[in-house]
Amino acid sequence: MKFERNFLLAAVALAALVPLAAYNEYALHIGIMIMFSVMLATSLNLIVGYVGEFPLGHTAFFGIGAYSAALLSARLGLPIYFTIPLAGIVAAISGLAIGAVTLRLRGPFFVIVTLCFAEVLRLVANNWIDLTNGPMGVSGIAKPPSIAGASGVQQKLWFYYAGLVLAAASLLVSYRFVYSNIGRAAVAVRENRFVAQSIGIWPFYLGLITFVLAAAVGGLAGGFYAHYISYVGPEVFGFSFMITMIIMVLAGGKGTLAGPVVGAVLVVFLEEYLRDFKDLRFSIFGLIVVGVVIFLPRGLMGFIGRRHESYERRPAESAKGGVKRDRRAPALEPAGLNRGGAADA
Amino acid sequence: MDLFLQLVANGLVLGAFYALSALGLTLVFGLMRVVNFAHGELYVIGGLFGWALTAVFGWNYFLALVVVVIVLGILGYLIDQILIARVRGQGEEPTILLTIGLSIFIANTALLIVGTTPVTVASPFASKPLILGPVVITQARLLLVVICAVLIAAANLLIQKTTLGRAMRATFQDPMAAQLVGIRTPRIYGFTFALGATLAGAAGMLLGSIYVVEASTGGIISLKAFVVVILGGMGSFAGAVAGGLILGLTEALWGGYVSTGYVDAIGFALVIVTLLVRPYGLFSRRAERA
Repeated sequence: MKFERNFLLAAVALAALVPLAAYNEYALHIGIMIMFSVMLATSLNLIVGYVGEFPLGHTAFFGIGAYSAALLSARLGLPIYFTIPLAGIVAAISGLAIGAVTLRLRGPFFVIVTLCFAEVLRLVANNWIDLTNGPMGVSGIAKPPSIAGASGVQQKLWFYYAGLVLAAASLLVSYRFVYSNIGRAAVAVRENRFVAQSIGIWPFYLGLITFVLAAAVGGLAGGFYAHYISYVGPEVFGFSFMITMIIMVLAGGKGTLAGPVVGAVLVVFLEEYLRDFKDLRFSIFGLIVVGVVIFLPRGLMGFIGRRHESYERRPAESAKGGVKRDRRAPALEPAGLNRGGAADA
Repeated sequence: MDLFLQLVANGLVLGAFYALSALGLTLVFGLMRVVNFAHGELYVIGGLFGWALTAVFGWNYFLALVVVVIVLGILGYLIDQILIARVRGQGEEPTILLTIGLSIFIANTALLIVGTTPVTVASPFASKPLILGPVVITQARLLLVVICAVLIAAANLLIQKTTLGRAMRATFQDPMAAQLVGIRTPRIYGFTFALGATLAGAAGMLLGSIYVVEASTGGIISLKAFVVVILGGMGSFAGAVAGGLILGLTEALWGGYVSTGYVDAIGFALVIVTLLVRPYGLFSRRAERA
């Protein structure tokens, strides 16, 4: 907890100082993408890491946020200071509706049903031409008036700090949530649903609260994206954003707050670096996903965190460590089934 | 009325094809519980491979089909033993990520090799239309529906009647008990996945002679296959057929009478409703909690 708080504070402080060192459009663009990715990854991580379910249609909330901000700005002319928070609120409301439906299901069924919601929304965005302008999307979303006449790099600087504020706010809310009683109860549900229920925790209610919070953060990210790119099309509901989100959370380490931040930074740099490989980069990306699942099952922060913990607890656990491990992998268990134990050892 | 009959006929044919393309997933997802997002990519590999053998090298269609079946079987076995075996027993999340990674890799590598142009498998089936009263169906489609029925029946017999099928069912009901009675469960996992990959590849090649094969369609095929499996109920071939027919009929009727824009959304809406009302599928007898 302390390590995580210090890590996040240091990361935000460092991010605030970055423009002093790298004041050019390209570096700031990378920085903005990192801020945006941190929000997305934090949002997905709240569900994957703290509810323990896997929403494969999480782009639904990102997309709803992006479309809300785009439409509020383009149709009603609301300024960015209203559209982005409103995007979060609209996404949270839809999170309440979708979560109330999907959280009744678990495991693979939850995965598929959330994906179905995202696909339905994508098709609606594609076909409801009166509202969303169909496949053409909503373009020309206004930038804030205060930077209207500014140069490119100044505009980027504005978006960088706006992104930093939003990302830091998302992380702060997530931090307060995760270390509140509700967050601890959610972890209890994730670890053992039935024990949690037996001490009076209501998993559905907890899941729903987390879902709404995650949806709100995803919506904020969507609103920020809409204003920065100044164009929103049906592809915001698409699978490619989902894949990026998954890799960020997975590579960073789910169930920690610092993990998705690390993952977001890694993935944004990786995508930039792989640009040199042109068309081959997607194939490489696929292989990296496979590699991470097999060799780094708990992500980077999980790896570091485990080293950290085992170092602190070594004197107490060294005596009984071997016994515990034996109990976890009984001799009768099929050879193929206890590979998971190897990751824990 | 004539339009209605034609739409129903179209829907039934489409439904049979959906059932065919979902057969492999019925095994892998329904029975084996591997949420396989690379299913559509295996289908695409089957289609592209069939195209390469028949249209490019000019092989006989049925010879090519046999080769595709064997190659996909080996590929499926290797995927299971090398990749999926490593995350077995860790819940569905690592498997989902693994198969998503695999599907990204396969889809984009296929794009690099074949390009974005849609291709067609050269087939011996005549595309001459058959006129049955008010309904028109091409011969090729009708023949494929028959092949489809034969394949489904064969797969069902394999699972229900053979020793291998019994070993499969035992393994997925209780792996430890299955191992205790002498079943080599790691191999059974491999065989089941191989069979699923084979069925996916065969479906890709068979349907590739009617529709086009594109390197990038794998995702949609996976999604529709999931829709079919969930609508019909997990792990039952009869369910897959029913799910496919329901999906095909609804899509055809909706497209004919309401609007073509939202046709693809129907299946997803059906799944959402199904999972809420009958979480274990429309036809599954097992009262399994989703």
